[in-house]
Amino acid sequence: MSNTKSLLTIKDLHASVEEKQIIKGLSLDIKPGEVHAIMGPNGAGKSTLGYVLSGRDGYHVESGSVTLNGDDLLAMETEERARAGLFLAFQYPVEIPGVSNLEFLKAAVDAQRQARGEDSITSADFLKEAKAACKQVNLPVSFLKRGVNEGFSGGEKKRNELMQMLLLKPKLCILDETDSGLDIDALQVVAEGVNSQRSDDRSFIVVTHYQRLLDYIKPDFVHVLSGGKIVKSGDASLALELEAQGYAWLQNEPAEDELEG
Amino acid sequence: MSEWLESAIARAQGINDWLAPKRANALDLLANSQWPTRKTEAWRYTPLRPVERTQAKVLTDEVNLKPIAIADLSAIELVFVNGKFDPSQLADMLPDGVSIALGRDLDSTKQTDALNAFSTIKPQRHLFGLVNDALAQDVVIVTVAEGVDIAQPIRISSLLSLGAESHTRVQVSLGAGARLTVIEDVQAQGDSLNTAFVEYNVAAKAHLEHYRFALQTGTNVAIGGSHFNLHDHAKMHSSIVAFGSDLSRLDTDIIHAGEYADAKLNAMYLLDNKELFDLHATVEHAMANGTTQENVRGIVADRARAVFNGRIHIHRDAQKTSAELNNRNLLMSDKAEINTKPELEIYADDVKCAHGATVAEIDKQALYYLETRGISRSKAQVMLNFGFINELIDLMPNAALAEWVRPIIRERFAQMDVE
Repeated sequence: MSNTKSLLTIKDLHASVEEKQIIKGLSLDIKPGEVHAIMGPNGAGKSTLGYVLSGRDGYHVESGSVTLNGDDLLAMETEERARAGLFLAFQYPVEIPGVSNLEFLKAAVDAQRQARGEDSITSADFLKEAKAACKQVNLPVSFLKRGVNEGFSGGEKKRNELMQMLLLKPKLCILDETDSGLDIDALQVVAEGVNSQRSDDRSFIVVTHYQRLLDYIKPDFVHVLSGGKIVKSGDASLALELEAQGYAWLQNEPAEDELEG
Repeated sequence: MSEWLESAIARAQGINDWLAPKRANALDLLANSQWPTRKTEAWRYTPLRPVERTQAKVLTDEVNLKPIAIADLSAIELVFVNGKFDPSQLADMLPDGVSIALGRDLDSTKQTDALNAFSTIKPQRHLFGLVNDALAQDVVIVTVAEGVDIAQPIRISSLLSLGAESHTRVQVSLGAGARLTVIEDVQAQGDSLNTAFVEYNVAAKAHLEHYRFALQTGTNVAIGGSHFNLHDHAKMHSSIVAFGSDLSRLDTDIIHAGEYADAKLNAMYLLDNKELFDLHATVEHAMANGTTQENVRGIVADRARAVFNGRIHIHRDAQKTSAELNNRNLLMSDKAEINTKPELEIYADDVKCAHGATVAEIDKQALYYLETRGISRSKAQVMLNFGFINELIDLMPNAALAEWVRPIIRERFAQMDVE
């Protein structure tokens, strides 16, 4: 089972938004099946990392390299990255009224099947899969008919992200502050869904401010992101240490009042 | 004055029928009208060259045309073929409480009522409304008795064959507390010209559900109107779906003639090629406590042009009015054009009003979100554009019509060029 080939390799990444340097020399290596937690204070660049890896407009890579399965991720368009197996679960999923969740999910699944040279899935087969996914993330089936995330509560949006993950079966999932805005019950549902997807060939980057989520999703590695780079790495116990100490010990960090929320 | 209008007037002068007094009145007004030019506010962005150049003629040959079938819709079919009412397409048995008849066939009392009501809801400022008054070939009168709820929609279809000119006219009257659904539809072959006007009188507590489909494209000139008079506690819900043609113009007038009337108007237009569509929507709040909600959305591609003029006029006595008008547009190309003008005129001091018009490109965040799921940019753009219109289709109360028009619109998107 042991596979030493890396799934994701980030080398000395520098990236900016609106000419402001946010990522300043970040390196990270993730092997298939591993769960990496990235923690850090607000403004450390946690969300930016997800946007840069997914290729969002306006996020510029200045230098460094990123490979996914050995392929140059940064040379790909956003949709190509998704088809190559990258999935970003948003902190704030976008509402799209008028586009039904079902239509959206099927378009996404079809696009990825097409990229693999497979035929489109039939509507009937897809509906079956989508209903099963709904059930698994504890969303009523009626949510398939509603506009994408339209009027969903915070928890429902996160579960909808999870449902997309179940259907798209990505190789690398980036969970961007998936715990934000969730109560403990919703958090458990999402964590169980994530755990059910853990496998030897699927890796996760769990971005979070708090240790709480990591009680439910046990990471193999924990990294502390500060000032745009990883300043400390360790195993799951590092998260507990951070919980006890906060982020104040980090060098050149913002004042304590900025660390909340 | 244009040659076309001169000839129209000359033809109308030869008609002598039960409508004669009204036709004469329209002719008087037409004789004193200016032919619209670029300087005429109501026609500023809609040149009348296609009317001036038209070769369309009133055809007298019998033609067999049938309206396009709409799945799961069992409607009472009121069909005009090249302007002539075709009674053979009307069901033999109408539901109790509904009558549909040609104005000239009515008994004298009813004919007098119809004559008195004729052209009282449609404002006289519409030049082609006057042309229709003067030239209407067959005028059909629809009445629904007090308190009757007609489950079966009435579908008014104006069908035109190649090169045909037609002028159709319908008067719909809902008795107090009655309920009715009416669908207006034009299906035209090329080089044709059509004026189609319908006046609706919605009595107290009556409820009208209305649809107007202007899906004709190409070398067709269509100028029409739907005009509504709402009495106390009357309700209307209207959905308009339009493509464009050489010239497609629609005027709607909603008149709050009673208190506590409620009007909803959802209009959507999708224009491609060199099409033009012009919607002038006017709402008159003449009485207090009325509500109006107007949502108008358009997508304009290629070199097409859209014109929207939305006017809400709140009269001095129309206190406690609540009115909203929203026009949103997406432009799909550099050469596409939208001329939008929302106008609020408020003379009452205790009202709630809002209006807005936007011309924008696609929501970038939504585009990014779809792309992160592997959906290509071009497919994502089509999905988002469709969603923008689909929101209003979702609001159509009649499911059969929504399911019928949805794939037609989807098909249109598939043909529209993105960028």
